Amino acid sequence: MLLNREGSGSRWRIRPDGPSKVTGQLSYLTDMTAEGMLYGLVLRSEHPHARILSIDTDAAKQASGVRAVLTYLDVPGLNAFGIAHPDQPVLCEDRVRYVGDAVATVAAETLEEAEYALMLIKVEYEPLPVLDDAEAALAPEAVKLHEKGNLLHHAGYSKGDLAEGFAGCVHVVEETYYTPRQMHTYMETEGGLFVPGEDGRLTVYAPTQHGFMDRMQLSRILDLPQQQIRIVSSPIGGSFGGKDELNVQPYGALLALRTGLPVKFHNSRWESVRAGLKRHPMKITMKTGTNAEGKLIAHQVRIIADTGPYSTLGAEVLNFAVEHVIGPYVYEHLDINGYSAFTNNGMSGEFRGFGGNQAIFALEGQLDRLAELHGMDSWSFRKLNMRRTGDTGPFNQPIAQTDGAEQVWSVVAGSELWKEKDKEQTSNQPPWIKTGVGAAFVMHGAGLGVGIPDPAGGRLQLAKDGKIEAVFGYEEFGQGLIASLELMLIEQFGFAASDLRIVIGDTDIVPDSGSTTASRATAMMWKSLERMRVPFEEAIIARATVAAGLAVDQLQLGEGGVRRKGSEELIISYEQLAQLEGEPVKSETSFHFPTSSVDRIGAHFMYTYSAVAVKIELNTLTGRVNVLKQLHAVAAGPVVNPQGFLGQIEGGSSMALGFTLTEDAVMDKGYYMTRNLDTYLVPTIADQRGDVEVVAIEQLPEGDTYGPRGIGEVGSVTLAPAIASAIRAASGKWVTKLPVQPSFLQEQPAFLQKAVD
Amino acid sequence: MGTNAHEQETIQSPLVWHPQSAADAWQLKQNFGADAVYAAGGTLLRTQWESGLAKMPAHLIDVSRINGQEEPIREHESGMTIDAATSLAACRSDALIARKLPLLAEAVKQIAAPSVRQLATLGGNVSSLVGDSLPALLVYDAQLHLFGGAGEHWEELSDWLAATEQALLSSQPASRLLIGITIPMPEGTTDSHAVAPAQEELVSKTKRFGAYYKVGRREAFTPSVVAAAVVGSINSSGVLEHMKLAVGGGQTIPRRLKELEAAFAGSELHAATLQRIYDGVLDVYEPRGDLFASADYRKSTAANLIVTELWKSAAEAVTGGW
Repeated sequence: MLLNREGSGSRWRIRPDGPSKVTGQLSYLTDMTAEGMLYGLVLRSEHPHARILSIDTDAAKQASGVRAVLTYLDVPGLNAFGIAHPDQPVLCEDRVRYVGDAVATVAAETLEEAEYALMLIKVEYEPLPVLDDAEAALAPEAVKLHEKGNLLHHAGYSKGDLAEGFAGCVHVVEETYYTPRQMHTYMETEGGLFVPGEDGRLTVYAPTQHGFMDRMQLSRILDLPQQQIRIVSSPIGGSFGGKDELNVQPYGALLALRTGLPVKFHNSRWESVRAGLKRHPMKITMKTGTNAEGKLIAHQVRIIADTGPYSTLGAEVLNFAVEHVIGPYVYEHLDINGYSAFTNNGMSGEFRGFGGNQAIFALEGQLDRLAELHGMDSWSFRKLNMRRTGDTGPFNQPIAQTDGAEQVWSVVAGSELWKEKDKEQTSNQPPWIKTGVGAAFVMHGAGLGVGIPDPAGGRLQLAKDGKIEAVFGYEEFGQGLIASLELMLIEQFGFAASDLRIVIGDTDIVPDSGSTTASRATAMMWKSLERMRVPFEEAIIARATVAAGLAVDQLQLGEGGVRRKGSEELIISYEQLAQLEGEPVKSETSFHFPTSSVDRIGAHFMYTYSAVAVKIELNTLTGRVNVLKQLHAVAAGPVVNPQGFLGQIEGGSSMALGFTLTEDAVMDKGYYMTRNLDTYLVPTIADQRGDVEVVAIEQLPEGDTYGPRGIGEVGSVTLAPAIASAIRAASGKWVTKLPVQPSFLQEQPAFLQKAVD
Repeated sequence: MGTNAHEQETIQSPLVWHPQSAADAWQLKQNFGADAVYAAGGTLLRTQWESGLAKMPAHLIDVSRINGQEEPIREHESGMTIDAATSLAACRSDALIARKLPLLAEAVKQIAAPSVRQLATLGGNVSSLVGDSLPALLVYDAQLHLFGGAGEHWEELSDWLAATEQALLSSQPASRLLIGITIPMPEGTTDSHAVAPAQEELVSKTKRFGAYYKVGRREAFTPSVVAAAVVGSINSSGVLEHMKLAVGGGQTIPRRLKELEAAFAGSELHAATLQRIYDGVLDVYEPRGDLFASADYRKSTAANLIVTELWKSAAEAVTGGW
C-alpha cells in the first residue's frame, strides 16, 4: 500500500499534539520555570584526559547570588551513572576522561551569576596522554582509561571454518568502511526543572526515554528511595536515543536537594555538543566470498567502535552491530568480531538505528561489490542469498516469521524507480551531471533482545470525570505516540477522541511499560490494548448492564458511552457510568517484549524488513550528491497510524541523509571541532527536495499474534548503502567512508580531458 | 545580591548608540576606540561573541540610520547605489537589483537563511571581507562609499579588499565606515556587465554571459566553500572578451583574478584555452582550506565552475546550444 494522505482517508488525522507544537504554544519541560528558582550549570573538563590535582570552589561559593557549588564530595550515593553499567562519574574526583566530564556544578540566582561562579572554580589538572583512536586504545601499551582496560566489550559470532570457506570461493571482496560520529541534533537541548517538595520528595521535570530508569539511577546517586522521586518526562523536543541516558538530571537533583529550591537547567547547543551522546563511529572491515553460483560462502567481519570514555549502552550497540553485519543473508562460514573501545573522544551511545546504520552500510556495500564481480544484477544477487520464510535469524535463533523479506524485495524489483537503473543517462542533462539508481535491503531487529529486561504494559481506566484514561509509561518525543495511541483506542474500542485522556510520562501515575526505545513502544501499546480490550469492555458493560437493566449481549462500547447493539442508541454515557457505585472500572496488563528462545544476549525475535531504492544526481563539477527520489518498502505489519508511519520513515530517512552526506562531529585530539550547528550541518529542507515514496506491507502470516512491528528506526538504516550504490552507478566509484566527501567524487569536465588527449 | 548581578549584566550588555549621520557614528568610534564596534544587523557579531572569537564590546554603534536617503536602493546617472544598511532580504526582493544586478540577486538569495537575511545587511556582508555577495560585487566593479577621518570618499571594492587584507596582516586595521555600495553603469546600458552600446552594435552577434555560483557543504544556510562570479562576452567566432572573474568562499577574502582576465582577453575559447584557464585558476587562486574542505578542493571547484560556464557560453555563442 502506497502510504500517503490521500490514500489514508479518515485514518489521516491531525495529531493531538500537533497544533500546539507547530504554533509554538506548547510548553516543553525545558520551558518551565518556578518562582524563586535557581539556575544550574556544570563545570566541564578542560582536557580530554587529565588527572585532577585539586578543585578549589571557595571563591565561587563566596560569589554573589551563588547558592551552592557541589563537587564529588557532595554526592550522597553512588557517584556514577550509566543505564547498563554505571561507570560515568556524576562529578569527577581524581580524573577526567573527556571534555564533557563534569567536575563541579553550581546553582545561582541568575544565569550570569552561575556563569561567573564557574569561572571562579579553580581546578588543577595534570594532562594525561589522550587516546583519540579506538584501535590505538586497544593496543597493549595504551594507557588504561578504566581498571579493566580499554575494551568495553567484545562480541563475536562464528560458525563453520572460515579458511575452508574462503578456499572454496571464486570471488572474495575485502573492504573497510568508516562511519561518522553523528549527532542526534534534537531541537530541544537537554535540561529540566528540579523541584524539591516540602515532603522531602523531589520532582524532576526533564526529558528522558524511560522515566523509571531515571528514577532508579537518581535514587542510586541521591541515596533516596525511588518512591521519593517523581519523574515527569514528556513532552520532549526530540531525542532519537540521545536523552535515553541521564544528562543534566543528576546535577539538577543534587542542587535542588542541597538548596531546597527549584533549579533550572537548560544546555546551550555548545554544551549539548560537548557533553552529549553521539552515534558510535565505526571502522568495519569485511572479507566476503562467494562460490561460482554467486552464493555467499564465507563472511569475516571486524568491527572497531569508538565508544568514548564511559559505557552507557556501548556494549548493546555493538551487539546490535554484530547481529546486523550478518543481516538478512545466509552464509556457510562466519567469523564476526566486534570490539568497542574506550577512548578520550566524546561519549558515544544510543542513537536511532543502534549500530545497525553502520553495519548495514558495510554489509550492503559487500553485496553490491560481489554482485558486480559476478556480473549479476545486484537485486537478484540479494534474492539469491536472502533468508527465506522459515529460516532462523542472523544468530541462527528462532524468530517471529513473516514474508517480509520477499515482500519488500519484490516492491523494489517491480518499481519504476528500479527500472530506471538500466536506462541510458538522459541526453538533456548537462554532461557534468550524472545520475544513478541504487538499492539496499535490511532486516532490523526491534526490542532490546534476549537477556535484557524489556517490560511492557499499560492500564485503561474509567476516570471519575468519565474520561477513558489510557495510562502508559511511554514518552512522546515527537514520533507521534499520542496520536497512534488515540487512533488505536478509537479503532479498536469505538471511542470518540473526546472520550479519551492519554496519560504518559509521569512515574507517579504510569506503570513501568519499559523504555521508549528500540522501535518498541507502538508495538507494545498495540499488544497491551489487545490484552486489555476484552476485560476492559466487560468491566464497562458490566456496570452499564446494572444501570440500564439490559443484558450484556445487548450492549457495546461506542462514541460517548455504552450503546445498544445494532441501533447505536446511547444507553448511558461514560460520564454517567463514572458516577455510579461499583468496582473501579479498569484493566491492567504487563508482559515481556517477545524474545527468541536462544541463549544469546541481544538476539532479536521480531524484525522489520525494509528495502530502499534511490535515484541520485551527482554534479561532478562540485562532487556533490543530490537525492532525487527514494522508495522505502517496509514490511512491519498493520499500519497503526498512517501519518505517524510516514513521518517515521521520512524523518528517519532525513537523518540517514545527513549521516550519508553532511554530518560528522569531527574531533581532533579529544576536542570537538564542530562545536555548534554552524559547522555541524544537518540537512535542511533544501537538501530534501526529492520525492519520498513509502510502501507499507501490512500483511502478516496467518495466526501471527505479535501485530505491528517497529518502524521507529528502520527508515534511518538503509538509505546510506542505497545512496552508495547509486553513486557507484553514477560515477563508477565505490564509497567506503561516510559522510561522502565531494572531493572524492569531483571530476574535471570531460571537455578538458578531451583537450588533453 | 541582586545589585551585583545587575552591575554584571550592565557590564556584559553593550550600550547601543544610534547616530543619525556617518559623521556622528565616526565620532563615536573615535571616542570609544577599541571599546566600540559598528553594528547594523549584528548577525555576524553574534556568532563571533557566542563562539568566543570576539568579545562583546562595551559600546555598539548602530549604523543602520546613518544614511538619510529615502530610497536605500536607487538608480542614478552613473549607476546604482545600495545603502550599506540595506538588509539582504530587501536586496533579495528588490526588482531593480533582480533586473540590473542579477548576479548580486543570486548571491544574496544564497546567503544564510530568511531570518538572518531579515537582519543582516549588504554593508555587513561586504565589511566582513568574506561575504558571499563579494564575488558578484567584484565582477560588477563595485565602488565603496566610505567615511573616514578625512570625510567621505569612494574606493574600488577590489582595491579596498586587497588593502584591508594587507592591513589585517600588518595588524593595522583601517577603521572606515561603509556608507554605500555603487555599481557603475555606463549611460544607456541595460545592465552592469554590458559593453557600451556603440560597441554592442559593432558586435551584435556577441553573446554576453554572467553567472554566480555558491558551493557549500549543504544546499542552504551554509557557509560557502566556493563563491565565484564570472561575466564577459563571446562573439560568434568564439572569441572571449571583457571577462571578469572573482572567486572567494569560506574564510578566503575574494578577489578578482585580473591576471587571468588579461591573459585570456581576445582568446578563442576552444578546449585548449579552457584547459589553460582551468590551470590558471588552480595556479593563481589561493584559498584557505579548513577541516571540511581542502584548499585543493576549493581550487578545483572554482576552476571547474568557471571553465564550464565559459564552455557553455562559447557553445551557445557559436552554435546556439551545447
